[in-house]
Amino acid sequence: MSDQLPAPDFDAQHYARPNLNWTCGHACEGKSCPLGPDAKGNCRATAECKPVLKTKPGETKGRWTCTRQGGECESGPLPDGSCCRPIPKCSPVPTLRWWRGRITLAVIAASCAVLLIVLGNPPWRNNFINPGTISEPHSGAAFAALAATNHLNQNCGACHAAGSTGPRGMTSAALHAQPGILDLKQLALAKAEEPTAIDQSCLKCHAGRNVHQPNAAAISCSFCHAEHQGSKMAATTDANCAFCHGDAAKMAVAKAESGKRKAETITHFATDHPQFKFITEKLRDPDTLKFNHALHLTGTTIPKLPGGEKLDCAFCHQPDAAGALMKPVAFEKNCRVCHSLQFDPETPKLQLPHGSAEFVSAYLRSLPKQYASLAREQKVTDENNFVQQKLAGLRTQFGSGEDLEKQIFFSTATFGPEASIGTLSGATRSLFPGCAYCHEVKSAAGSPQIIKPVQVERWLAQSRFNHAKHLGVTCATCHDAVHSKDTADILLPAKETCATCHSPRGGVADTCAECHTYHRP
Amino acid sequence: MTRFRRQFILGSLTLIAATAGALWLNAKFNALPNYAFLTGWALLAGMFVLTIYNVRKKLPFLPLGKSETWLQIHIYLGFFTTLLFLIHLNFRLPHGWFEVALAWLFVLVSGSGFVGLFFSRVKPRRLTARGGEVIFEKIPALRHAAKVEAEAIALGPEAKSPAIAEFYAKRLAEFFSGPKNQWKHLLESRRPLNALLAALDDLRRFATDVDREKLEKLAELVRRKDGLDYQRALQLALKLWLFVHIPLTYGLMIFTVLHIVIVFAFSGGAR
Repeated sequence: MSDQLPAPDFDAQHYARPNLNWTCGHACEGKSCPLGPDAKGNCRATAECKPVLKTKPGETKGRWTCTRQGGECESGPLPDGSCCRPIPKCSPVPTLRWWRGRITLAVIAASCAVLLIVLGNPPWRNNFINPGTISEPHSGAAFAALAATNHLNQNCGACHAAGSTGPRGMTSAALHAQPGILDLKQLALAKAEEPTAIDQSCLKCHAGRNVHQPNAAAISCSFCHAEHQGSKMAATTDANCAFCHGDAAKMAVAKAESGKRKAETITHFATDHPQFKFITEKLRDPDTLKFNHALHLTGTTIPKLPGGEKLDCAFCHQPDAAGALMKPVAFEKNCRVCHSLQFDPETPKLQLPHGSAEFVSAYLRSLPKQYASLAREQKVTDENNFVQQKLAGLRTQFGSGEDLEKQIFFSTATFGPEASIGTLSGATRSLFPGCAYCHEVKSAAGSPQIIKPVQVERWLAQSRFNHAKHLGVTCATCHDAVHSKDTADILLPAKETCATCHSPRGGVADTCAECHTYHRP
Repeated sequence: MTRFRRQFILGSLTLIAATAGALWLNAKFNALPNYAFLTGWALLAGMFVLTIYNVRKKLPFLPLGKSETWLQIHIYLGFFTTLLFLIHLNFRLPHGWFEVALAWLFVLVSGSGFVGLFFSRVKPRRLTARGGEVIFEKIPALRHAAKVEAEAIALGPEAKSPAIAEFYAKRLAEFFSGPKNQWKHLLESRRPLNALLAALDDLRRFATDVDREKLEKLAELVRRKDGLDYQRALQLALKLWLFVHIPLTYGLMIFTVLHIVIVFAFSGGAR
């Protein structure tokens, strides 16, 4: 359905002038005047004609004549020579073009005003032009303190020379930038690793660049470390690492300068990353504690836990608060539940102290008092007789007091009371065989010396690991504890085990920064 | 093949080739340390050419080529510049007040350009399909003439029907007083017109022959006024997108100049 509208009727007398800024106020009534408004929007309407004074030969006074287009009017000009038909004045209307021009000017003015106001106020300026959140090490309280110490600006000026200046200084800095604004060739040919002006700002705090290998000093800091990418500085990419670690020549220089054992080229974890050092160098766990993982996990003589559960990895190896690493194994929490320090088979109430050889010696020398105290506790009527009976029992089993102390410290008791685990009076806890059963004990003047166990907190110290992210796999997937009988075994997985998942085939992230920290510890 | 179709195919092929080339170059040189500077200059060059189209329109007397050719270049370069913008951003969202403001300006300018292109391809066809041709600036005068004519029929000295006068006062006076139903016309809705015509038809059933003739004239005037409103709505849409596109272009260029100053003042080699 179409409704035919009137065809355009172009009338030169009523031309609407859309290309001008103003149009006649009578245009909407279809009566726009031929003159139209002037450029400033003033109505120029006067009268329908401008009379002309015509003087015939011989006349002294002339006569005003109408000059109206389309013919003279009936009344003719007034005696004073003005037209008798004045055109009513209008209020010219701005055209769309005028409005568009005004809006354009307003946007330009607003843009300039906003920029001048913001750039003229240093705190606003810094926030306004900041292209992204600065990393915590470069923006937190610690950085503020360091900046104050180093007499640095704590805002943009700490790193950017132009950050301490106003708009004029910024413009000057831009005009003197290297490479220059229009130096397209230099911009295109610049090498990523070349040190740049901003490296000088890094060196104000990171003097000497001693955070990495010496030959890394020739590389721009920003080659690896991208700022303004968030509160946590973006991880260095594999390409950044491979720039040196994938280049045999650079690694040879690194080897020579650092005196390190090897300098393999590495590009990807699954392919050319070397085997872990603890395997290649056959390192052993230095812990002196005697512990048999295989026995505890698979042994038939291992009793059930008080709750009836079978002993498993998680009973001793508990994650720390962050879930990333494991808390150290502690005797009181993880061992005592089975390994009682009961040295007198007939007196379960008496337990040796744990943690100090001196305390153990002192305890043994005060046994009569310990038994007497126990007698009072148990409300035995004949305390002296109770003590004498207990001491006699000990002498029968161990001999003299000296023998008792010797056995307490040095007995490994392979065939001793621990053979009765699970059968002694229906108990499920092993009796105490001797300190040397678990510890390395040395003779010394006074009391024997027990070598303090060393639990290595972190193997692969320059890497990161988070147990919490690996809850999807069993402990045995990575830790071959069921076949380990020796404490010295380092129960960490080989590289190939990690690469099962951490590889393109495994589908889990395998970037360098996934595991490695790149700064020197 | 029409000239328009030939231009469209040629322009589209050029745009596709340029897009493929830009993406290939992006993949090949993305790792360059100053890649963002290079893409920035390319983007600025594109924006400059796009901007001077407005200057070209203001200087019709200079031998700078046909405006039609400039428009074609403006359209296809507009698409390509949007791709350059995404490459310059490395296909990531910007951060920070200034960069976000700059990006928004670009999005609004290019977005309004795409809207304008859509309007200029769709609205004229609709106007043609609706029939008639009216100069936008003439519409107020034609609307006024229709109003005067309708008032004469309904309220003039020869009007004898109080029913028609009342109907005019209640329904048509407001309708003829100015442009109406602009959004509905943009949505191609004829419901308001049909409602008025239906009301006029209801009135016609009980009217005398003389009044029926007047009502038919009024219906004709209502249709004409509605046609004028339709023309105004669509022609205004064809003009108003420029109220966003052109002013914000100048704002964008001002912000861009500051952006260049800031990146060179603060980069110092940082990437």
